[in-house]
Amino acid sequence: MNRFVLLAAALATSAMFAPAHAQNSRVAITTSFSKDVTDPIKASFEKANPGITLDIQNRNTNAGVKYLEETRSNNQLDIFWASAPDAFEVLKDKDLLQKYEPTVKGLPDKVGAYPINDPDGFYFGFAASGYGIMWNTRYAEANDLPDPKDWQDLAKPAYFDHVAIASPARSGTTHLTVETILQGEGWNEGWRTLKEVAGNFQTITERSFGVPEAVNSGQVGYGIVIDFFAFSAQGAGFPVKFVYPTVTTVVPANVGIVANAPNKEGAATFVDYLLSSEGQKVLLEPTIRRLPINPAVYADAPDGYPNPFKDPQFSSMMMFDVDKSGARTAVVDTLFDQLISFQLDNLKEVTKAIHEAEAALDKADNPQARALIKEARDMIASMPVTEEQASSAEITGAFTGAKEKGARQAELEQQWATFARDNYAKAKAKVDEAAKLAR
Amino acid sequence: MTVALSEALPRRRGLGSPGPAVVAILIAVFLALFLIIPTASVVYVAFTERGTGAFTLVNIQDFFANDLFMRSLWNSFYVSTLTVVLASVFALPLAYITTRFDFRGSAIIQTLGFLPLIMPPFVGAVAMQLLFGRNGSINLLLYDWFGLRVPFMEGLNGVIFVQAIHYFPFILINLSAALRNIDRSMEEAAQNLGSSGIRLFRRIVFPLAMPGYIAGASLVFVKVFDDLATPLLLNVKDMLAPQAYLRVTSIGITDPMGYVIAVILIVVSVAAMWISALAFRGRDYATTQRGGGGLARRRMRPLEKLLAYAVVLVILALVLAPHVALTLLSFATIWSFSPLPDAFTTAHYERVFSDSFLYIKNTLLYASLAGVIDVVLGTAIAYLVLRTKLVGRQWLDWAATAALAVPGVVLGIGYLRTFYGVQLPNGAPLTSLWLVIVLALAIRRLPYALRACFAALQQISIALEEAAQNVGATPTRTVRRVVVPLMMGGILAGFVTSFATAAVELSAALMLVQTNSDAPLAYGLYVFMQSAAGRGPGAALGVIAVLLVAACTVLSQIIIARSQKNTGMSQ
Amino acid sequence: MNMQSGPADTAAEAIQVAPVDVRVEGVHVSYGEHHVLKDINLTIEPGEFFAFLGPSGCGKTTLLRLIAGFNTARSGRVLINGSDIGDLPPWKRNVGLVFQNYALWPHMTVRANLAFGLEERRLPRAEINRRVDAALALVGLSHLADRRPSQLSGGQQQRVALARTIVIEPKVLLLDEPLSNLDAKMRVQVRRELRDLQQRLGLTTIFVTHDQEEANAVCDRIAVMNDGVIQQVGTPMELYERPANLFVATFLGTANVLKGKVTGEGADRTFNIAGRGQIVIPPEAVVPADAQLVFRPQAASLGPASTEPSAGSIGGSIIRREFLGSFTRYGIEVGGTEIIIDEVFQNGVHLYELGDRVQVRLTEKATLWLA
Repeated sequence: MNRFVLLAAALATSAMFAPAHAQNSRVAITTSFSKDVTDPIKASFEKANPGITLDIQNRNTNAGVKYLEETRSNNQLDIFWASAPDAFEVLKDKDLLQKYEPTVKGLPDKVGAYPINDPDGFYFGFAASGYGIMWNTRYAEANDLPDPKDWQDLAKPAYFDHVAIASPARSGTTHLTVETILQGEGWNEGWRTLKEVAGNFQTITERSFGVPEAVNSGQVGYGIVIDFFAFSAQGAGFPVKFVYPTVTTVVPANVGIVANAPNKEGAATFVDYLLSSEGQKVLLEPTIRRLPINPAVYADAPDGYPNPFKDPQFSSMMMFDVDKSGARTAVVDTLFDQLISFQLDNLKEVTKAIHEAEAALDKADNPQARALIKEARDMIASMPVTEEQASSAEITGAFTGAKEKGARQAELEQQWATFARDNYAKAKAKVDEAAKLAR
Repeated sequence: MTVALSEALPRRRGLGSPGPAVVAILIAVFLALFLIIPTASVVYVAFTERGTGAFTLVNIQDFFANDLFMRSLWNSFYVSTLTVVLASVFALPLAYITTRFDFRGSAIIQTLGFLPLIMPPFVGAVAMQLLFGRNGSINLLLYDWFGLRVPFMEGLNGVIFVQAIHYFPFILINLSAALRNIDRSMEEAAQNLGSSGIRLFRRIVFPLAMPGYIAGASLVFVKVFDDLATPLLLNVKDMLAPQAYLRVTSIGITDPMGYVIAVILIVVSVAAMWISALAFRGRDYATTQRGGGGLARRRMRPLEKLLAYAVVLVILALVLAPHVALTLLSFATIWSFSPLPDAFTTAHYERVFSDSFLYIKNTLLYASLAGVIDVVLGTAIAYLVLRTKLVGRQWLDWAATAALAVPGVVLGIGYLRTFYGVQLPNGAPLTSLWLVIVLALAIRRLPYALRACFAALQQISIALEEAAQNVGATPTRTVRRVVVPLMMGGILAGFVTSFATAAVELSAALMLVQTNSDAPLAYGLYVFMQSAAGRGPGAALGVIAVLLVAACTVLSQIIIARSQKNTGMSQ
Repeated sequence: MNMQSGPADTAAEAIQVAPVDVRVEGVHVSYGEHHVLKDINLTIEPGEFFAFLGPSGCGKTTLLRLIAGFNTARSGRVLINGSDIGDLPPWKRNVGLVFQNYALWPHMTVRANLAFGLEERRLPRAEINRRVDAALALVGLSHLADRRPSQLSGGQQQRVALARTIVIEPKVLLLDEPLSNLDAKMRVQVRRELRDLQQRLGLTTIFVTHDQEEANAVCDRIAVMNDGVIQQVGTPMELYERPANLFVATFLGTANVLKGKVTGEGADRTFNIAGRGQIVIPPEAVVPADAQLVFRPQAASLGPASTEPSAGSIGGSIIRREFLGSFTRYGIEVGGTEIIIDEVFQNGVHLYELGDRVQVRLTEKATLWLA
């Protein structure tokens, strides 16, 4: 026993003080990308740059941001690497990124309608991704469901209890999807769409990966995801399909150098590599399947690979306002949680009732009942805050720990939750009334 | 005379040896540094006013005024309670049949019963979805054959189901030990007075085993109450621990509510353990007179035997289902909306092989160091509490046990807060040392090892120590030459529990892992599971983790058995 | 089994102890509110075999553990060979304690158990081996040296415990109910062996027991204790013949106790037993207040009932008769109390029948008045 303790202690001390990371060519990266993405890039980068090792630490986007904040006094990270552009906006605002001018030249400025790089030079797009709907073909066949084409399709009665989404508060990409819908359709219409689709949700997963996983395994039929989830699942052989809805956007996934990076030189090498055509080609790997921002690379892409620089559907895509999104991130996510995630049972109940009542009305119409259902739908769609309020200082302050005293986050949450619960209950009452009339 | 014995080693005039006091202070400092201060640094936010930082209780008010939090609180109670019930349903027959009857395979059942504990938390949930989910194998078959689905995994059901399978070994282990320790004469006396069968079990055997059952059940309750990984994996968010985690790691990091929930978690856990301790008071049935050596094992009649095997097999099939599913998944090419995978491959193992070596090395190092720290601390605390009269020694026990009630996330954040500012000579922060992960793991698992050490020391007659001192051994020497060797079985058991469970711990590790090269297996699993291209590699790593920890556990069991035989303490 | 053999004698020479005296002065011990020992004063002579005798809870084990250093006195001193050991921890006292349940370390062999104390004293290995062998020979267990305690019988374990204690050559040997875990036959045998061994080593020994027969058989002197107080110290015979009080009289052997009243003054004192007669108290007798009449069963003789009660006898009737071989034991009802009289049995002696009225004549010298 004693010998054991001594041995362990000796082992511990020797390992602790050994210069484990002595070579200064280690580049420490925090990323939300999965190993499917990072492993091939790491392998090819290290091959192309012998002597530099990438230390890749996996954190979801929000945890990564928070980690940089908590540790800024003594930063040990070189690179922040993630999808969501607004996370980079947050970091930029907090002076947690540093400027850099990549050596790679001649890349396009925009993908779709979206500028690829930060105009101030704090972060750079290296791959494009769009948002859409992914589904399991075996599931669809077994349940005899049609292929969806647009967000509103998912609100149809047929899809009741068949749809999954990740919580936008937990998933940077889902947050962008939600923001895209809100910006594309407008605040009120966007929330109406979201709530109507949400009425068909089976589950709201805690992580981005929960959705493709559930669709891949067939636990859920349809998922609202970022495109590469579906492409890499297809690459792995899963029976899944993907579609870009009309209201969507293609946004770049980004990379940035952390302020006070211990290995700034190595970090720069990595950024340049990602943007080089060599690095861009790695994105075509079956497990990655992201859209390169270097148009030339598409020559090597397999057939059917979407090309945002050529395919017509991309040119009509909307312009995504990063500033708008960044200002209200916490508010939008909290609204989603309070109105949808934590009221899902109520929302589903009333949605199901509407589906049933409308099915009954389709057989025997009753204008009064139709009117009641419209009222109910409006009631469900109504929002506790307007678009202006959502970006206002009073409300955003509750989520950012603003110094001045104001509304507490918990207070607002309770107000919104009560608002949603009461409205859903009232809507349910109206639908029940309508159902009686329809009978 | 009993009075004399309980007044074991009293303070002596003029020679109050400083040794125990020094050790006690060192332990107190350790606990303060690595448990109390980090926890407090997180918890105090719960009592500060937004913006001003002044002390306030308004946050606590907000908590109780919030529907979501109250629903979460209720759900957490509901899930924890039902998990205890379901876990008891699994554990009771296994414990009873393997200790009470002459049952072939008892040893295997007891070993298999330990396995669920070392299933890394979220891997189990993923595997369970594949088997029992809405479109899992079972439900697909049921739907094909009978046109029905059983909502095993829907909402809170799933959490209860997965948690009961994961944590039922705590009840099994404690209850089996308690059943085995009941002196045969107790049972014989009851039989002699005309009691038998179920009545005998209900009136004598179960009451005597009650302390063991309560110890296990309260542990399960607290673990489930504090666990966040399983509910989150099953996408259940309206429970307390997930709420705390979600807030602390996303929107709400600046909001005190996450910390308020952490406070509520700690309060409920401490209360649960306190109530179970109250239930013990005056019910210490340690039946010390040996000789009978455990319950009489009865032979079963053929029909009974058939029933017993059926029950045991069904329970084992259920509790080992996650392992089966995980193994299938690790060899599966595509497993989508079908009862079984489309085809099998070993590619996933090849994929993780190179990475897994690093993770395995780290895991073995961290978990065994954590285990060693735990048994050293556990032995020292047990000795100080049971064998000295130091003022405040009970506080060491309480503080160390309270670690059970501190959610891993809270501890992880506390560590970042407390130690990130502390710099090493080379300028790197203290938290960048992997040793911090070890310390967090050690603190998290200390209560397990501590209880094992307590039990081991309680079983040693104090006369054995007095005899050593009487022939000239100082207390230090007595501890080394008599106490520790005699406690070895318990110490090793504590080590195994700490080691095995630390090896699959994620929540604290997730916050503290600073570089991939320092990451343990659980973290590697987490990373591999973040894949849209299938969970195969993650499952393969999971299987490797389970096999590894199981192998280490079995190895330690063998060492324990051998050391017991060597010391002539086996029956 | 045999301790009297030749090797054991030479072995006894290998274990060397100098007889020392033990003095206990004004010791009080309390556990919280509970006063366990009250003003204990004792002197145990060098080489003496001394017993603490008393019922359970009388404080005898507490006193023994106090000497060994496992209890603390609130006040008072314990001196061994004239020096106060109160400040010494148990491991520096060098007083050997044999535990009631032996406390053999289960993880060590018999040999390792014996060697332990010597190893703690950092003796050279050769010396340790020599002494362990000697001690094993002394208790006749050389052939079991490599066994573990769990492989030994109760009697063997008891002797290992004894050997483990004397191998360190303690100044004083303390035995805590050493025979209580043995069967009746072993008990008689082991206590003889204990006595022989003690004699050969000349070791000052204190023996704690609740069994007066054990104490009488082996001990030079006995301290009778009750309720934390030493009632009387003396040789077994003294205690039997001249008990200092009612407790000692009744605790040691069988004693008849009759309640009555003392009347008269000086030479005219008599002890009146309600309605059954009166006993003249000899002038030299010391009679405490509220005294009761105490006599042993053999300290009286029976005679036929006489119509006139004579001084020094009491009337009663036979309610029980037990034939016990060398004597007959009668139970006689005297004023609602049963007293016991033993009459030597020999040919021709008159046997009384149940119901016979008899006169009990006390032997004056063996009659005691105690409170």
